Amino acid sequence: MDTDDAGGRYRSWYERLLRLYPRSFREHFGEGMAQTFHDLCRERSNANRRLLGFALWTFVETLVGIIRENTTQMSQWSKTILGVALGALAALMAPLVASRLVEGWHWNAGSFVFVYVLFFAVGMAFALIARTMKVWSYKVGVGLSLLMGFGLAWSTMVHVADSGHPEGFVYYAVIVEGIVGASLARLRARGLAYTLFAMAATYALIAVILPSGAPPDLARDMAIGHGVAVVLLTTSGLLFRHASLAEVK
Amino acid sequence: MTKKDRAPLTPAVLHILLALSTRERHGYGIMKQVEADSRGKVKMGPGTLYGSIGRMMGAGLIRESAKRVDQEMDDERRIYYKLTGEGQAALAAELQRYRDVMAVSEARLAKGSLAHGH
Repeated sequence: MDTDDAGGRYRSWYERLLRLYPRSFREHFGEGMAQTFHDLCRERSNANRRLLGFALWTFVETLVGIIRENTTQMSQWSKTILGVALGALAALMAPLVASRLVEGWHWNAGSFVFVYVLFFAVGMAFALIARTMKVWSYKVGVGLSLLMGFGLAWSTMVHVADSGHPEGFVYYAVIVEGIVGASLARLRARGLAYTLFAMAATYALIAVILPSGAPPDLARDMAIGHGVAVVLLTTSGLLFRHASLAEVK
Repeated sequence: MTKKDRAPLTPAVLHILLALSTRERHGYGIMKQVEADSRGKVKMGPGTLYGSIGRMMGAGLIRESAKRVDQEMDDERRIYYKLTGEGQAALAAELQRYRDVMAVSEARLAKGSLAHGH
């Protein structure tokens, strides 16, 4: 009697699990799967064998099938979104771990959500732009430019918040320049190369003109950081130039 | 699809084709037949079985038969599956592939044992 009760309960849970299959698959095979599960439970009950282990194994086995069928039926676009969402989640692990290890790093839940949205946006931008051209240098250039844009926006925000100098927001001009340039270039490699070179020049100009107001030690580190940023922006420009030449060939 | 360009079948597909080669069966019947054919070595869960059935139907290897009651079990109506002509051809081709492999293996083993005999 107890086994019958357990069998009925497991079948009910199994039918709920089957709802996770894609609709078309469920409509076609759901009833048959539930019947088969019921048959297997009855077979074990008649043989006076325990159901728990069998039910657990079948649930896991079916869950694997559910994942496979859902993945198979996903469109390429859905797969891209899922991939970017998981990638952003993986990237979020870095600040999550750092906040546990670094003293004075106190992010609230909202900050993590904000950073996740930023990671996701950058990832989606890369997925959308990089697919427009198959040349490797274009894809690397897009990735590097987006990372630079993200880093620049983030570091400027943190710097202004820490120092209390709102003039630091002038660095956002470089990002605006990038967005306008990319739009005018319609994401073509040649136009993007010019845009990145212009961004590198603007960045260098701002770094030289804008007084940091920082103590000498910090000012030296900032100068090194600015130098690295200019080199990376120029490298992105060169990658796009390489891609434009490959496009011509 | 010609016999030449047919890719080897997965173990699950081969066993399902074998189970359906003699008669139409429902899901549980296929499972039991696969277990018997493999002497208990192959045990498919419903997820693997129906996932394979779905792909095999898509490939035209099997198709659904009429829904009916299995007199030996209960009064529930069940969907039965049967081989199509394409499924029979795929099974024949796969079995021929196994025979070819066996022939090569046996010839090689015989040659090897003769060489060792010298």
